[in-house]
Amino acid sequence: MSSLYERIGGQAAVDAAVDIFYRKVLADDRINEFFDGVDMDQQINKQKGFLTMVFGGPNEYTGKDMREGHKHLVERGLNDSHVDAVIENLGATLQELGVAAEDIQAIADIANSVRDDVLNR
Amino acid sequence: MSHIIFGEKRIELDEGQTVLSALLEQGYDIANSCRAGVCQSCLMKAVEGEIPVEAQTGLKDTLKSQGYFMACSCKPDTPLHIATDANEGLQSSAKVIEHTLFNKDILCIRLKPEENFEYNAGQFISVWKGAKVGRSYSLASVSELDDYLELHIRRIPDGVVSNWLHDEVKVGDTLQIRAASGNCFYTPGMPEQKILLAGTGTGLAPLIGIARDALKQDHTGEIHLVHGTRHVDDLYLHQTLLDMTRQNNKFNYLASVLQGDENQPAVSSVPIEKQLIDVAGDLKDCKIFLCGDPDMVNNLKRKLFMAGASMNNIHTDPFIASNA
Repeated sequence: MSSLYERIGGQAAVDAAVDIFYRKVLADDRINEFFDGVDMDQQINKQKGFLTMVFGGPNEYTGKDMREGHKHLVERGLNDSHVDAVIENLGATLQELGVAAEDIQAIADIANSVRDDVLNR
Repeated sequence: MSHIIFGEKRIELDEGQTVLSALLEQGYDIANSCRAGVCQSCLMKAVEGEIPVEAQTGLKDTLKSQGYFMACSCKPDTPLHIATDANEGLQSSAKVIEHTLFNKDILCIRLKPEENFEYNAGQFISVWKGAKVGRSYSLASVSELDDYLELHIRRIPDGVVSNWLHDEVKVGDTLQIRAASGNCFYTPGMPEQKILLAGTGTGLAPLIGIARDALKQDHTGEIHLVHGTRHVDDLYLHQTLLDMTRQNNKFNYLASVLQGDENQPAVSSVPIEKQLIDVAGDLKDCKIFLCGDPDMVNNLKRKLFMAGASMNNIHTDPFIASNA
């Protein structure tokens, strides 16, 4: 059986998803304040890294990276509801791209698996 | 087994070893983060040799064509010569052959380089006053069309270099300049793609360069240029751009002004992003260049992205003012 990453289309799927996902995040008033003043080119590369990871692709993200990368946001009030919103946007993106429901669930599970690291707890 | 040459030093690579891993092993402090060919923290520039395709996956065309690659995904099969400082250019001399005002604030300087000077229209060079003070200016000229470099210099209050260029430098003087850089320039390969160019103030300089370069390279898609200024009197090269529009059916020029008489050809008070969206059709497929005031550039970038433009197709050159 092929891996999740291969099944949804690998790097090409990441490239197809990243603009849609980032646009949804920036349009979402529940979370977009965390992205104010952030360099968009740097951010889109981080988004690609995130998508590669949750799609089950090759990455070397560690719990430590996740903690360090979000620490300043947790101090600004980042909590479970914001992580929920991100995962919701992720799901909507994948739905738009025609990814199968069970794969979307698998991807949401991977995203959920880093929740505690992101929220530094 | 292959090797790299880093500056002067030859470094052997183990089978399957990446350039990043070899350099770190040798004790070089190389910026890096994801090590998965994604974050682009470890961008380096090859000056000679063949770059493996994987090492450039996801990079913008303009970076690719300049030889940039990601060290973490680079396992070269053949020797690769890598620049130790991709931003360091060599200083060279150029003679001032023209020095005229476009309007009360903006000076046009044309320079004749003393030796062959390679650049892409839309990139910027730096001009040096003495050994310590350099400022960046974008190139409005096109190397295949013009035998000079053209810069548009806005007078900055208390600006060390701009006031010097305006008031003291004259035709016949020799200036010290440094190599062209920046990734706002035309890349061939998609001749039908629609191109949107927008800028404020002297952000017009690189945009004119990019437009003329694209036309010279037989671009067949529409090219729309929007120049934004505060007052209608701040527009410059207005007639030249109207002439360009008349002479090329692919090229279209619009001016967006906040104040002043709009009863002039191509001038309106419609905001820049609105003008761009109106002519874009499907923004997703447009190649976009934004140059000039950093707030305007970042604002437009966000608005156009939200309206459907692809981040990979947006190239920006925010003119960041010097604090000195």
